[in-house]
Amino acid sequence: MITITLTTGSLLILLGLYALLTRDNLLRIIIGFSLANTGVHLIIVSFGYLKNRTAPILNDTMIAAGPETQIVDPLPQALVLTAIVIGFAITAFLLVFALRLYHTYGTLSLSKLVEKS
Amino acid sequence: MVRKFLIFLLLVGLGFVFFTLVSDYTLPEALGPTARHYGEKGISETGALNLVTAVLVTYRGLDTLGEVTVLFLVASIFGFYLKPENTRRPSPPSPLLNTASGMILPLILLTGIYIIVNGHISPGGGFQGGAFLASAFLLALLAGTGRQLSTRLFSIIESSSGFLYVLLGLAGLFFAGGFLDSRLLPGGVPGKMISAGTIPLVSILIGLKVGTELSSMLIKITHSDGES
Amino acid sequence: MTQPILFIALPLLATFFTGLTGKRYGKFQSAVMNLALAGTVLISAYYVSAFVSGTRQPYTASTAGSLPPFSIAFRMALPEALTLLLINGLGLLGLSALKTTFRQKGTLSAVTYLLYFMALNGIVLTRDLFNYFVFIEISSVALAGMVLFKESGRCLKAGFSWMMATGVISIFLILSAILIYVRTGALDIDNILLTDPLVLYSGSAGAFFLFLALIFELKPFPANGWALDVYENASPAVSAVFSGAGITAGLFALYKFLPIVGDRWLFPLIIIGLVTFLFSNILALKQHIVNRMLGYSSVGQAGLIAAVFGMGVLSKEDMFFIAASLMAVHALAKGGLFWLSHHTGYTSVYEWAGIRHKPLFIFLLGFYIFALLGFPPFPSFFAKWSLISALAAGPYGWMMAAILLGSLLEAAWMIRWFGFAVKGNEQTANEIQKTPPVYTLVPALLLLGLILLLNRSRFAFILTNAWIPLLFITGFFLLDFLPARVKNTFMIGGLGLYFYFLYPTLTEFRLIFAIIFLLGGMILLLAGYHYKGRRIGFYPSSALMYSGLVGLLTAGTTVEFFFWWELMTLGSYFLILRGKKSLPHALSYFLFSMGGAYTMLSGFGLLAAANQGSLALETLSSGGPFQAVIFILLALGFLTKTATVPLHIWLPGAHSEAESDVSPVVSAVLLKAGVFGLILLMAGMGPQSLGRVNLYTALGWLGAITALIGNLSAIFEEDAKRLLAYSSIGQLGYVLFALAMMNHLGWLTATVFALNHFLIKALLFLAIGGVVMRVKTRNMYEMGGLIKKMPLSFISVMIGIIALSGVPPLTGFAGKWLSYNATVLSGWYFQGVIINFAGLVTFLYCFRLIFTIFLGQLKDQHRQVKEAPFWMMVPQIILMGVILFISTVPNVALKPVGTFLTRYFPEHALVWDGPMARSLYGYWNGYMIMLVTGVVFAAVFFWLFFINRKAVKIKQFNIVFAGERPSRPELTHFAYNFFAPYQKALGFLVAPVSTDFWNRLSEGTHAIAGFIARLFSGNGQSYVIHQILFAVLVFFLVLGGI
Repeated sequence: MITITLTTGSLLILLGLYALLTRDNLLRIIIGFSLANTGVHLIIVSFGYLKNRTAPILNDTMIAAGPETQIVDPLPQALVLTAIVIGFAITAFLLVFALRLYHTYGTLSLSKLVEKS
Repeated sequence: MVRKFLIFLLLVGLGFVFFTLVSDYTLPEALGPTARHYGEKGISETGALNLVTAVLVTYRGLDTLGEVTVLFLVASIFGFYLKPENTRRPSPPSPLLNTASGMILPLILLTGIYIIVNGHISPGGGFQGGAFLASAFLLALLAGTGRQLSTRLFSIIESSSGFLYVLLGLAGLFFAGGFLDSRLLPGGVPGKMISAGTIPLVSILIGLKVGTELSSMLIKITHSDGES
Repeated sequence: MTQPILFIALPLLATFFTGLTGKRYGKFQSAVMNLALAGTVLISAYYVSAFVSGTRQPYTASTAGSLPPFSIAFRMALPEALTLLLINGLGLLGLSALKTTFRQKGTLSAVTYLLYFMALNGIVLTRDLFNYFVFIEISSVALAGMVLFKESGRCLKAGFSWMMATGVISIFLILSAILIYVRTGALDIDNILLTDPLVLYSGSAGAFFLFLALIFELKPFPANGWALDVYENASPAVSAVFSGAGITAGLFALYKFLPIVGDRWLFPLIIIGLVTFLFSNILALKQHIVNRMLGYSSVGQAGLIAAVFGMGVLSKEDMFFIAASLMAVHALAKGGLFWLSHHTGYTSVYEWAGIRHKPLFIFLLGFYIFALLGFPPFPSFFAKWSLISALAAGPYGWMMAAILLGSLLEAAWMIRWFGFAVKGNEQTANEIQKTPPVYTLVPALLLLGLILLLNRSRFAFILTNAWIPLLFITGFFLLDFLPARVKNTFMIGGLGLYFYFLYPTLTEFRLIFAIIFLLGGMILLLAGYHYKGRRIGFYPSSALMYSGLVGLLTAGTTVEFFFWWELMTLGSYFLILRGKKSLPHALSYFLFSMGGAYTMLSGFGLLAAANQGSLALETLSSGGPFQAVIFILLALGFLTKTATVPLHIWLPGAHSEAESDVSPVVSAVLLKAGVFGLILLMAGMGPQSLGRVNLYTALGWLGAITALIGNLSAIFEEDAKRLLAYSSIGQLGYVLFALAMMNHLGWLTATVFALNHFLIKALLFLAIGGVVMRVKTRNMYEMGGLIKKMPLSFISVMIGIIALSGVPPLTGFAGKWLSYNATVLSGWYFQGVIINFAGLVTFLYCFRLIFTIFLGQLKDQHRQVKEAPFWMMVPQIILMGVILFISTVPNVALKPVGTFLTRYFPEHALVWDGPMARSLYGYWNGYMIMLVTGVVFAAVFFWLFFINRKAVKIKQFNIVFAGERPSRPELTHFAYNFFAPYQKALGFLVAPVSTDFWNRLSEGTHAIAGFIARLFSGNGQSYVIHQILFAVLVFFLVLGGI
């Protein structure tokens, strides 16, 4: 299972980068960026996973059994939350760039933008 | 086409790099030292049942403060860069959306608040709840009722919750073990609503801040469709 | 009660607090922002003083009441405190530079700025890898936001590319954090390092991605287009903090995380750093947009400092000193330059001519540029010295070469820019009106403070020996508002006093050169009384040059010698640049000087390495296994200064385009610095050979060829000052030839030639300069018949050329006589033939000087011409007196020289009998010659005077006897192209081979720059492709696919 998520994560990163590098439309580039980010998040979470364990939200039975034997690693989950929010902020910022570029140059095509000075 | 193919090859190369490097990473059978500490001591140190929240708000509270700051920063940039523009009249929202939003909106808000205040005892927390709050405002915007929302009010909530957040952190520095130490207030009984020291307080502040920040970003983007 | 967390909390509190007060950026908001940054500055200053005084120990402050690795910790020690002081100090200054922007854009823009600094503080302080990522993201977003302070489409595009590229960096960074966490179970540096290195570095994925992320933050060549676009398009006030503070923080992060990355990556780091340094400066050559040029320089400097971090050969103390000096100087100087650019609003280098009437602006520009280039007395000078010395101790010649070549290229474009600012075409520029604002001045003051703080033991001479001359220089900078005549008096008095105090300590060659440098300088300065007004810039530059020259004599160590050598170069460059059309020539002078200085620096470095780090000049005698290499490197440095072929092409332009009273100084006085260096080198190192080649034979040939080419080039010149300049090349060729003989007579000859060259060139350049001042042209074919109008100048030139061409009775003859004796003694017959032939050629151009300028027919437009100005004549009269005196009683000067020369070369000394000298091959009596020649001259003169009364006077325009019809205006002058027949016969010897070579080299470099620059298309996608390609290449090159 972990290998599946790791592979999916890696493929998502590559896929996202491919879109980022080959698409001409700014919005698609941004979508590519988001895809790659999601891949990264997937990798982070899958690295914290342990077989046959549960989420690090405790209840009495888990406390009694010794939480450290029951839970998956809580740290990557915390990290991924931070990473997601930061990724969100950057995506929003990129979208504003796209918006303003569109208003300034009247196009969303990167190649046309580069030509116009 | 050639360019695309070359990029494809390049990414295959990158994939190869990644694969070779990561292939010898074996997955651990047990928790690492840090995670074990969280598991063993987390509940006694913070009093929170949700260890993710404990890590997020207390142990790595500085990261969280940083991430709230990123949002605030992006909202600020929107604030000075996107000038409000009121000439464009949006097409009137469909009556369906309008009516439905009135019914759903309170529910979304309520769920958001629930997620925020229960972050330390059950899945959830400030971010998740804050995102809920913001989605409620998004709905309001789409339904056309959000136009009347005051960005000024949002920015005051945004700033003051940030200000209190830092103050709370500093209070931890001076009256407890360190910056953002949640033991500023007594830990209480784990599982109760009022427990886990300052974690619920911080969650509320984060929730408010994230909610207002996301909303004000949305408002600024929708309001500034014209030339600046 | 201070805590490192305040560096984060203070700006955040200020941010959120001003967020409450509304959008307007008024006085109150501005005060809050200033207070927040001033607070961080104060706290960092407190920490610096506490760590320096030892009242506090370095410590780690954890957050959340638990220890790392469970929570995030901040580390506070001296390096952190210094870095933070620098960063926040720049932040505070930058606030005032951006004041108007904030007023326009509102509080939220100021908030963006403040959060950028909060993030940089976090980057410096945090010990946690993931926390570092968070702060990196804040800083990237804040920077992209600040790019939008300027509203233009280009800014938008640059910002978008920036966000794309940093997005990719953040992917690498997060991956590295999680991979390292999986491997070690920790995220903070200290606990990661506790892990068994075998575990930590096996697999190395985490290290690889972390290395990439850290490197990308420093914008390595060529994957740095996104950063350069930002530098170019953002407001310069933003680029100032991006470069000054941002790079400092990025470098500190690299330094901090490098142990986790592991030793395997140190070597790639050096390569990447040096390649970046080299190529950034190549690319900057082709730029004319100042902000982009500065951007290239910023990434280049970052590369250099990053490479320093990778150099395991440096001792810890050395590395700290080098990196700290380079970082601090870079941050302050780059900040200052960007802020100047912000204040002036100029984009292209050509516009910078707008500051040429504002001395303070020029001063600031020069101050920052020369600090960046590592000139003394800035700490960067000592950093560069220490770096090269340390590298010389090991097999790192290629690193030295890369660093010095990069520095040379950096100098090329920076000095070109400086030249345009001082001498560029005013028409292209809006003149700057206001006085420099505070934020452009303060970095200069801080740099001065850095100089004073410099107290490393081996550079202690700054405070012990060098402070008087440095004070002298500073004094002239401060007193530059006084009238020129007052300053001239100060300068002459200062040199005189200095000579008086130095005299008892000087012996042998040092005394001779002190006489040339100081007494000679005083005589030549007399001409300065002619100039009225304030002559802004002349006296500080002269003070720099004279202090540098004297410093060469008093230096006891190689570092002192190099220190003063660089100051001398600097001062003389400024002086030469003062000429009306000297812009390109001053640049070429500077570049050749720098190139020479850098070979010299490498030579001194190798020398110190061969002597266990000892820097005493006496160590020249023990060069170890590399002594021939050291000799060549040092000789190259000195030969550049003496303009030996083929390193001579800078001289004709530089000497001829200088002002009338500067030409004599740079020719007569300055060239002797190279001669002094050669004497020091040859006396110190003794005979040298490389393989089978005797280096002195090679130098002898070089001298002979230089003498021939210099003199031949002189005869074909139409420009009187260029003629004299070429003549200097030839004369210095004689000196080199004579020195290379390495025997008593040879060195005596060299001394005589050197003294002679000083006297003659000073006299001739003054005389010709005076003529040029009056007739307003330097072309000899536009002069003629000036003997009646300028009789005194005529006598000067006459005495000068008699002495120069080496005919009896004047000093030149002594030199010639000695040189024949020495040549025979050495058995250098072939070279001797060339030298003698060159001597014949001297007659040809000497003849032209007197014949074309003073004899013949007076030009119509020169009928009202007066004698040269009084103050130009005074030094000439003194010089003539000295020449006549020494010619009559040569024993006064030569006997003492011969006496001390016996210490070096006991054999074949001259035997003196009153004014008569005997050698193995004959005798020479200066007094008798003077007497005989005087009598013959008087007889002929009176006979001519007598018969002249019978001559028929004809009108000037009576051309009855003329046979040719002139087709061009120049041709109406009989002396135009006077030696055309010789040109046909000998012209091939003066074909501009050297010039062609250097031109091709320069064009080639530009072509490379143009080719590479095409990578930077402004397309964000291409930039990301560069990044990924860079990553994949690094992987395969370094890890080889494991």
